[in-house]
Amino acid sequence: MSRLGIAKRNPIVSLLSILLVVLPIWACANQETPMNPDLSASQAKSEGLEDQEDPHASLMKERFPSASTCRACHPNHYRQWSSSAHAYAQLSPVFNAMQGTINKKMHGTLGDFCIRCHTPVGMTIKEPLFTSNINRHPLSVEGITCIACHRMNKEVGKVSGRRPLVQASILEPVYGPSGGSEVKKVIADGDFGVVTESGKPGRAIHRDAHQMTQLSQPGFCGSCHDVNLPNGFRLEEAFSEFKASPAARRGETCQDCHMGKEPGISSGYDFGPAAIVGGKKTRDRKLTNHTFSGPDYSIVHPGIFPHNPVAQEMASMAEWLQFDHKAGWGTDEFEDAVSDDATFPEKWESADDRYEAREIIDEQLLLLEEVNQRRLALLKRGYLLSEILVDRKNQTGLAFHLEIKNGTDGHNVPTGFTAERLVFLEVTVLDPQGNVVFRSGDLDPNGDVRDAHSIYVHNGELPVDEQLFSLQSKFITLNVRGGEREQVLAVNESVDSLPFLRTSTMPTTLTGRPLSARIHKRSIEPGGVKQAHYKLTSDQMRGPGDYTVRVRLKSAMVPVNLVAAVAGVGFDYGLSPRAVADRVVEGHVLLWERNTKIHVQ
Amino acid sequence: MYNSLHPGSPHEEALLWQRFALAVVIFFSFMPLLSSQEEGKQDTENRQQEIDDAIDQLQDSSKVHLLDSKSRLSDVAIPLQISSMPEANGPIIGLGDPFLGSGAISEGFDIGTGAIWNPSFYVFGTFRSAIQGYDNGQDFITEWANRLDLFGNVQLTQTERILIGFRPIDFRGQQFSGYAIGPDSIDGWEQGFNGRLTTLFFEGDFGEIFPNLDTDDSGILDFGFALGRQPLVIQNGILIDDTVDGFGLVRNTLLPSGFANLRLTFFYAWNNIHRANRAADSGAELYALFTEADFGESSIDVDLVYVSAPADSGDAFYFAVSATQRLGHFNSTFRFLGSVPLEGDTPFTQGGFLLLAEISWTPTGTDDLYYINGFLGIDEYSSAARAPDVGGPLARTGILYTAQGLGRFGSALDSEPAESVGLSAGRQFFWDEFRSQIIVEIGGRIDTDGSNRGAAAIGLRYQRALGENLILQTDFHAALQERREPGYGIRMELTIKF
Repeated sequence: MSRLGIAKRNPIVSLLSILLVVLPIWACANQETPMNPDLSASQAKSEGLEDQEDPHASLMKERFPSASTCRACHPNHYRQWSSSAHAYAQLSPVFNAMQGTINKKMHGTLGDFCIRCHTPVGMTIKEPLFTSNINRHPLSVEGITCIACHRMNKEVGKVSGRRPLVQASILEPVYGPSGGSEVKKVIADGDFGVVTESGKPGRAIHRDAHQMTQLSQPGFCGSCHDVNLPNGFRLEEAFSEFKASPAARRGETCQDCHMGKEPGISSGYDFGPAAIVGGKKTRDRKLTNHTFSGPDYSIVHPGIFPHNPVAQEMASMAEWLQFDHKAGWGTDEFEDAVSDDATFPEKWESADDRYEAREIIDEQLLLLEEVNQRRLALLKRGYLLSEILVDRKNQTGLAFHLEIKNGTDGHNVPTGFTAERLVFLEVTVLDPQGNVVFRSGDLDPNGDVRDAHSIYVHNGELPVDEQLFSLQSKFITLNVRGGEREQVLAVNESVDSLPFLRTSTMPTTLTGRPLSARIHKRSIEPGGVKQAHYKLTSDQMRGPGDYTVRVRLKSAMVPVNLVAAVAGVGFDYGLSPRAVADRVVEGHVLLWERNTKIHVQ
Repeated sequence: MYNSLHPGSPHEEALLWQRFALAVVIFFSFMPLLSSQEEGKQDTENRQQEIDDAIDQLQDSSKVHLLDSKSRLSDVAIPLQISSMPEANGPIIGLGDPFLGSGAISEGFDIGTGAIWNPSFYVFGTFRSAIQGYDNGQDFITEWANRLDLFGNVQLTQTERILIGFRPIDFRGQQFSGYAIGPDSIDGWEQGFNGRLTTLFFEGDFGEIFPNLDTDDSGILDFGFALGRQPLVIQNGILIDDTVDGFGLVRNTLLPSGFANLRLTFFYAWNNIHRANRAADSGAELYALFTEADFGESSIDVDLVYVSAPADSGDAFYFAVSATQRLGHFNSTFRFLGSVPLEGDTPFTQGGFLLLAEISWTPTGTDDLYYINGFLGIDEYSSAARAPDVGGPLARTGILYTAQGLGRFGSALDSEPAESVGLSAGRQFFWDEFRSQIIVEIGGRIDTDGSNRGAAAIGLRYQRALGENLILQTDFHAALQERREPGYGIRMELTIKF
């Protein structure tokens, strides 16, 4: 017997051994030291360095131009981005609590896996993994900001968001799909009044735009929108689904449907100037929409989101949280009625400030409504609902079904973070007397559908909704012995009291999952159809007559049980679990509705 | 039949114009009836109101007590628990970009195919140490045994890597470094120190290695693969649980009609294949097709394996079908596996079938787990490949069927399914935010061929996380056996994860 026989027998194994020795040495030599790795807003604050003279702040500008800097010449792009899911990514209190919870459950081994995508700048400057966004650097809370894509100079492949950013001031080249010919014209044309050198008077702009053709190709989106954990867990497969879709075979791209004129359909692009420099427009060209509509919606204070430099100038995040816009502050109705001895937070003591803030809030709400309309249009294109089709109707019972079709052939629906995307049917049947005799897809008092993860169902206070139709995929974890069970979070605490996230010890490329956890996908394949069947038994029937059936297809960003599962680490902005849940439920959108009367003899 | 919302397509535009023209004709033709249509609209709205009122009435009567319930989410804000967050807990050795650590990510380099590699190297693993006494009804063994699973991972990209693994203090899962306390025949220090590679494979994705060959992201090259000595666990380890030298090719995220997901994996192994008797079959080759599909409410796995071997060990065909789903509160997995020797039974392969039903659920109001796992072995089912230290095909049926993979501590109940029927039923209790758990399990099996191999056992496991890297585990079991004296086992193990 040869204890090292494997290496002697297999030349392939020998080659791998050599690589194993050589590559770590190379890796050592390839380490990059960030310019100022430990800078964060909270630290700057603690050092009393947060004003404009802050040398750290100017150093940050040298490394990471903010979106508001880009806004000076790209106001339309900024406006679209400012209310987008990309801009919201780091601000989301549900995300913050979720990644904090998983990191805690994973005993500190999750690291920056989740948050790296949500705040690439924050992670590059080594901000804490879990803290309030109020304490983060303003650039960090911009989330997936302009430079997250336009300071990428390499086609990195499916790296699950671990993308290197080019660190440089606004004066250095940016990266765009069409190169820098127009930038050069602007610089050469004295009418624009731009400068490309530091310290010179004028409007500072990037001195070039290098072509990065992948920005307009699906592969660029795929660098974040296929999320594979180091242990082989395939968390999100939007890009992989796209590549297997008819849309990809036709040559359509992610950008065609998600950055074009209309959300959710390949409808061409707008045409116009990419920049307005000092009021002067650059030449017309193809314009991509940076709203990136998706199923997410903001549940934070409208003074904080959408991003708005005017709002940021007027008040800090903490101060905005004190502004009670729902009570009507800054409206004539409220201000006329407010008593003289009413007290307000110091920042909002002045009625003039409240009026000014109200103007900002109203603009913000208008922008959010625009985004909501695009979200609704996107989702309505993603899901199609048939009429109610009756299978049986008599005194022994009532049976009917509907078909839910994937309206796109570019990916599954839901896609992306499918295990936390709730799309469901709400079904109500009234007997001839107008009494409710059947419900499915109704919400418990927390706002959850009554699946096994509803706390009310879990605690035995409400029955499980046996006929619930939901397209939410499920996290499945391996039991300590035997089979598997559903979990709200894919952290397996059954097989191990100390779950760790490490690279897998198995070839998970082959299995598509680690042993201990997986996702059971329940989404609809591109162009595919699912049926939802409902049955009323004889004891639910109330005699002959017309039974009224109403079916609604609804979409939610996340289920409320997720809010409950991550509440233990606290929500940002001082939100209670119930407040978060209520806002999540407020954002539910009705996609389609079907009504019918079924006459039973 | 479906609503549609696709403005922009020529077909849809034409359709819209047709509908518009039709609407104009209808409007003027049925002007007199307009008022009745308005009434119809009003009727629809009334119906909506009727439904909403009925729902409100229903909720008013049922919600009152629910709003006061413990299930209601709190309206008290919890401050961010920043201080309760664990420190970063990375691998003990890391070169290159830190493993899931913050900071700037290195740019990497183009390997010439368009792929950007950014290598980093990590060392991680698990050290286990146990003091244990095990009596199988014939012999009583007491020992201190240790095991170290040490891995070095060269991460080239997020999809490509090389993994190397050693078990430097136990040899082939049969000789563990430590001290044998009894019986006298084995008393003394033991060592299993070795430099044998237990794992060494490369895995990646052709599409990611050669991106320049698929610049339009058609996905034509999206085949994953793994090459080298690699652990393979199929059907929860019941069909295959071995580390073999082989090559696998996979296509993930296939989306045929009716499937939310489909994965197809072809695997070929040429060496280090351990068969039914746990012995390496030096002349054997293994060919396999593994499939996993999310289909409707179930996940379906269908796996086919053919082992070609010398005449003395024997060719054999193996198959396995399983379905996993949740029905209401119940999680279930049903499996049907078979082994079919093509040249008769040999010590390396036996013919038979195995049926398993694995049911679990979470008791109301808890995060605990109840499980009941039953099996029926017909003839002598054997796995296609099975490592020496992983126990028999029933090893995952219950903790009573499980060998520890550390020292000589065996299972309370025989983990071979031959001609027998049995089950295990247990409850796993959690507390202290899942950091502590107790498993109580009972199990038993009886033979179906009159060979008096019946046995029943009870087991208890306590496991607790200590800090962020240590686990303390204690196990106890006692068994009554038809053929032997009662057996029992007791052990305490400390695991360090790093």
